[in-house]
Amino acid sequence: MTQTPTATWTVTIVVPETASLDAAGETFDLDVGEDETILAAARSAGVWLPADCQQGWCTTCVARLVEGAVVHPNARRYYDEDREAGFVLPCTAKPRADTTIVVGRDDEFLDFRAAHDRPPGNSKRDT
Amino acid sequence: MAEETDHGSGAVEPGDTSKRVGAEVIRERGVDPEELREKLIDAIGAEFTTYYYYTNLRMHLAGEEDYKEITEDARLEDRAHFELVVPRVYELEGSLPNDIRDFADRASCPDAEVPTPMDDDGGFDTSDLDVADILEVLLEAERCAIRTWSEICDLTREADPRTYDMAQRILNEEMDHEAWFIELLSKERDDEINPAGHFARGEPGDAPYTKNNPFNDSA
Repeated sequence: MTQTPTATWTVTIVVPETASLDAAGETFDLDVGEDETILAAARSAGVWLPADCQQGWCTTCVARLVEGAVVHPNARRYYDEDREAGFVLPCTAKPRADTTIVVGRDDEFLDFRAAHDRPPGNSKRDT
Repeated sequence: MAEETDHGSGAVEPGDTSKRVGAEVIRERGVDPEELREKLIDAIGAEFTTYYYYTNLRMHLAGEEDYKEITEDARLEDRAHFELVVPRVYELEGSLPNDIRDFADRASCPDAEVPTPMDDDGGFDTSDLDVADILEVLLEAERCAIRTWSEICDLTREADPRTYDMAQRILNEEMDHEAWFIELLSKERDDEINPAGHFARGEPGDAPYTKNNPFNDSA
């Protein structure tokens, strides 16, 4: 019996100059399998991205999708408006195409969630 | 007689009670104490909500006294983690949200709800509630806590020994909890022997690393 090979996609991770991360200003190209999360692939490759819960809940890891496609089958708190606005949660995001994301968007995302009266932004921002 | 001199040094003027050296020494070492404090509120929000949700999960392990006992240990120890760190939030000039809904919304881990829908009368529909499903909720809650406190250890290592000490104590117990629930879930769901390597706590919720009274009576 043969196993169907899983697809692998190139995920480009852009860390802005302004990010408070050791890798600020760097860009990484990673091979990420369709069953693998972007965060896990990055950390396995030695690219340390921020994250807390790793269950698609706390939003510490949030990034902007620049191009490509991801799915979040196991995210515990990911809303339609997040997807429509181009936010992704790398801790649970799995690629479905060659993809580029910009990480370190947590402040921007808390404002976005607060503006939509969604947690945790609505409890961390004065609206 | 010695010449009178001012006491204190650094960013805090002698006698200034508007700032805390306990926070400024953290800032001097490269960690933003306000950012750290907010992460602590998120983390203890998760401990507090977990304490609440584990009450329901424990209740629904009906007839499984050994599972209930272990879940009770984890439940009480999660409360101990909340109690341990609350004073630190205030030391860092923060406070708990006035509205408990805000506290729950910002908790850094998901709600650990009983894995069953509600019935038509507003109670739990227990007709298909499975013990293994409850154990999986417990396991994943512990894993979230391990990740969260590991991040706080990373953030405070070599910068804030007081918070680091708290976080590593909590991490010790969260790792105990994960081991317990791996053992129980392996047996219940997969009929596999996967030992935690532990025995039950001496007293329910003993919290051997984190019960704050033994080393901090003022808390």
